[in-house]
Amino acid sequence: MAAVEIPQDEQAFLEYVQAGGQVETTDWMPDDYRAKLIKFIEMHGNSELMGVLPEREWILRAPTLQRKLALTAKVQDEVGHAQLIYRVVEDLGKPRERCLADLVDGKAKFHNVFHYPTKTWGDVGVIAWLVDAAAIISQKALLKCSYAPYARIMKKICWEESFHILHGRDVILAMVTGTREQFELVQEALDRWWGPLMQFHGNPIPREEDPMFIWRIKSQGNEEARQQFLEGYVPQIRELGLTVPDPNLRRTDEGVWKYTEPDWNELKHVVTGHGPRTEERLAFRRRFLDQERWVRDAVLAA
Amino acid sequence: MNELLLGLADDELVIGWRDSEWTGIAPMLEEDVAFSSIAQNEIGHARAVYELLAADADALAFDRSPTEYRCAPLVQLHLLEWARTIARRWLYEVADEIRIAALMAEVPVAAKINREETYHRMHAEMWHERLRDEPRFRSAVTELWPYALGVVLPEQRGELAARVGIDEVDAVERGTLDPSFRALHEEMTMVRRSAPAGARW
Repeated sequence: MAAVEIPQDEQAFLEYVQAGGQVETTDWMPDDYRAKLIKFIEMHGNSELMGVLPEREWILRAPTLQRKLALTAKVQDEVGHAQLIYRVVEDLGKPRERCLADLVDGKAKFHNVFHYPTKTWGDVGVIAWLVDAAAIISQKALLKCSYAPYARIMKKICWEESFHILHGRDVILAMVTGTREQFELVQEALDRWWGPLMQFHGNPIPREEDPMFIWRIKSQGNEEARQQFLEGYVPQIRELGLTVPDPNLRRTDEGVWKYTEPDWNELKHVVTGHGPRTEERLAFRRRFLDQERWVRDAVLAA
Repeated sequence: MNELLLGLADDELVIGWRDSEWTGIAPMLEEDVAFSSIAQNEIGHARAVYELLAADADALAFDRSPTEYRCAPLVQLHLLEWARTIARRWLYEVADEIRIAALMAEVPVAAKINREETYHRMHAEMWHERLRDEPRFRSAVTELWPYALGVVLPEQRGELAARVGIDEVDAVERGTLDPSFRALHEEMTMVRRSAPAGARW
């Protein structure tokens, strides 16, 4: 690759990334940009890792051998993503151990959807199908990230996530075509998850005011992502005979989805560490981090 | 022979479940990934053997009562501590190698399983090397040794003792239900039991 001259002052750097330029680990970058990258990418890593916990208890409860294998593989992918993502953060200057410590100490954030309980096997299907669908929309907007190492690993991550969606859709399909009770499990799960799903992409701040867009860490605004989710998935949800629990949801003639205003206070409350399962899940990780510290010490000493 | 194969399949299924209990909480992310991978292989092996024994592998895997399972008590134990988990993995892999080798001549799928187990053995051996001098690992091996002997047939126990380097003692035999197994069985079948038999999932 031809060497590209990375501008070494903040304004010129900003113009460079806004024109589609990418930077590598060893390039000069403004402190603010580096800090924003760490914050954003670390939260992504945390989310992959915490995203394992709502699903882990259902590995044991998976109703067939095939579902058990698929769920274990999905969860394995997610931990693998966390591993890759933390490596990117590490290269930017924050070691993995510190990310993991900040996470269990409640000093770092992770996505809203991973703060909620997983009540039934219906939730497992909705998470794998719709939560992962919402996530892949955000993640695809990172394929053009101005920070090249992150953009590169997103290729692998997006590819794997697309299998999770297929697995999730298959779980849902088996249930909606099954008994009345199985169908109800899916509808109830959809009712439970719709609110968090609508909050998932964040408040509709104009992209020109979103620092993550300004620095071209991500390439689309929050509302664009939500519209894309609705456009792609509401028809599929309805096709399965399910009801989206929002009486105001409709598509205008211009192709814009209108919906009941999501509860932004709930989103803020949840992602600042006050979700229904936040403390329990962090405590669970903390317990094993402490209990098995000797293992890491023994391995490092060797 | 079917009794032996059912024991093998149940062992693989249940250790697969127990190993997947580390999902999301292993001492390091690399081990989280490794344990998920091992658990998938073990469950896959269980499925391959159940398919030899029954037309409906899921029904055989899930729809028996706890007393009908033939798994060794070693794999049933609920051990969410790394020293004991690794002691079990290591002892199980050594015992499993002896048991599988004896089956390979007659059961083609055993040879296939044996190939994948090679990686599990390398993983177990690596951890054994790392932890062998740790007092808590050594006491875990001592604690689990009678259980490990129960994985193999009585005539294979001399070889297992020689490989592990511990004298043979009275084994905890198959057919003994560990108290934790009922709870495991209850949980692993709860979704399946919530719909009538034959429902698709």
